[in-house]
Amino acid sequence: MHRIKIAFRVLVFMFGWVILHYALPQHDIVRVVNTYQERQDLNDWTRIFWARPDDQSATIINRDVQFIQTVKKKTYLLGFVPRDTTEVMVYRNEDTGWSWPFYFKFDTASLQTEADDLRSTPEQPKWAVVTHYGWRNEYFSAFPNAVAIRPVDSPNVTIIPWFNIFFFVALMAAIAFIRAMWRQFRERTVDPIMDSAGHRVDEVQADIAESRGRISRWLGTWRSKK
Amino acid sequence: MGFIRLIVFGFVGLSVLYLMISVYSRSVRRERLEKEFDADHPDNVDEDARDAYVAEGIAAYNSSIRPKLIGLVYVVPTIAIAAIIYMINEN
Repeated sequence: MHRIKIAFRVLVFMFGWVILHYALPQHDIVRVVNTYQERQDLNDWTRIFWARPDDQSATIINRDVQFIQTVKKKTYLLGFVPRDTTEVMVYRNEDTGWSWPFYFKFDTASLQTEADDLRSTPEQPKWAVVTHYGWRNEYFSAFPNAVAIRPVDSPNVTIIPWFNIFFFVALMAAIAFIRAMWRQFRERTVDPIMDSAGHRVDEVQADIAESRGRISRWLGTWRSKK
Repeated sequence: MGFIRLIVFGFVGLSVLYLMISVYSRSVRRERLEKEFDADHPDNVDEDARDAYVAEGIAAYNSSIRPKLIGLVYVVPTIAIAAIIYMINEN
């Protein structure tokens, strides 16, 4: 039972971690190489890696998606430890509209223009910080969705993830609050009911025990007397 | 349509939260009133006096500003969403 409990908790934690790792904003230091637009098929399970910018896009099976091609500074530990090496990274650029994940992004065309404006060559690099969510996966053709881009002077900027700090503080506070609510509910509502129910169960069991006693005494009258 | 869906589900979700916090807040207040009364009258046997004290305290709580502040449950997320929309889409 104890092991099942631990396994269950680990599963819940991992599921939450995966969801948050996909949906929370992350920052990359990039150099924009090019932007392009390509028709994408949306009629298999990899649909979950594409956004739903409006309602008709929920049913159509292909549509044009804009992309931003970049060279990105590699990092360790979710972007906290910078490295000197670079890799290529391709972002999709899609509206999220009013649906999950709740970025309320409607400025895809403007973002594409900003990215175009920042295009540069390796000889004269213009560095920028891209805010994005999502994962890059070559085998599923999944791309992270860029939500903002801003130019920076050098690739060695320090980025403080204000939103994520605020989010995790709020999450801790919400968990503590729900715990307090649950405890109050159990102490004031569930426990009194359970107490009176337990009391009633005791009474019923006492009744049963007594009637059993009566039956066995009656049976006893049929047994031969020694 | 997505906007309407967000409004409807958001309103339902926040209403559930509002009710839960209202019940919780009142329950905490009632518990405190009961404990106050028990501390002031350690050997009280008059249950009616205790009930009257608690009912009076709950009435005072209902007319205070505290239960109205729970309405912020609707206001804060609306402001947060408006702020996110502005920050994501401004240039």
